[in-house]
Amino acid sequence: MTFASGYLLDVASGQAAEAEVLHEIGDKQILDWHTLWRPSLHQGLINLAANEGSRASPPQSVHWNWQEKANHPSQIWAEGFCVVCGGETQGMMLVNLVSQHARLPGQEGKHLVYVDYVETAPWNRARLHNPPRYRGVGALLMRAAIDKSFFEGYKGRVGLHSLPQSAAWYESKLNMTSLGEDPSKQNLPYFEMSTEQAIRITGRRSS
Amino acid sequence: MSKRTMTLNLTDAEMAALESLCLKKDLNKTSVMRQALRLYQFVDQRVERGEKLFVEDEAKSSKAELVMI
Repeated sequence: MTFASGYLLDVASGQAAEAEVLHEIGDKQILDWHTLWRPSLHQGLINLAANEGSRASPPQSVHWNWQEKANHPSQIWAEGFCVVCGGETQGMMLVNLVSQHARLPGQEGKHLVYVDYVETAPWNRARLHNPPRYRGVGALLMRAAIDKSFFEGYKGRVGLHSLPQSAAWYESKLNMTSLGEDPSKQNLPYFEMSTEQAIRITGRRSS
Repeated sequence: MSKRTMTLNLTDAEMAALESLCLKKDLNKTSVMRQALRLYQFVDQRVERGEKLFVEDEAKSSKAELVMI
């Protein structure tokens, strides 16, 4: 089911490409993950080794299995989202609505949408395939997490533990607040978005 | 996502608890009830997988297992 629509940048043409954000990770997404993402990741790892040599560190999400992560249709505490463009799945995200609470001063202890996993298709990652096919997938997914937070009454609050390779993106592009490394989560850096930050990024009026 | 509506009958004490949670958590009544249901399923599924649920008070060094029935 369609949650929102938006635009990605088609890097080859420089044009905007219409994309849909779906509020599900369905059979089509799992099929795309098996038949498109995995071969693209394999080729991307070959490209990475050729470009960066033996010092190349693979994407930290390399072991993620979306079939295992998303195949729980009766679960109501976790929800999936995906971005579809050109008939193919361009990114997937799994959010958890109960496992974490806000930590930022001013919203500490309040409910938030916790982004458990978010990943863009391998062909959209410049380190693996240069040039990438589309830009803007992660931003569309994070926008969906913020909208979901408003919809649930969590007022835009979103939290996540970032893989170290992505940490700079959450801080510089999304303006999320870094709360440092979290020893309870393999020392991954934790980021949180406040209501004020969410209002700024979405252009909503504050209530 | 389609929604279905139901009527919920609560005692005065239960309604007071719901209203208190709404204030504390900054949520409306529907959101609190939906959150409670999600949390119930989350805990139930983990316990069903064989995991245990504990409450711990570090200051008093006490730890008790919660048993879901």
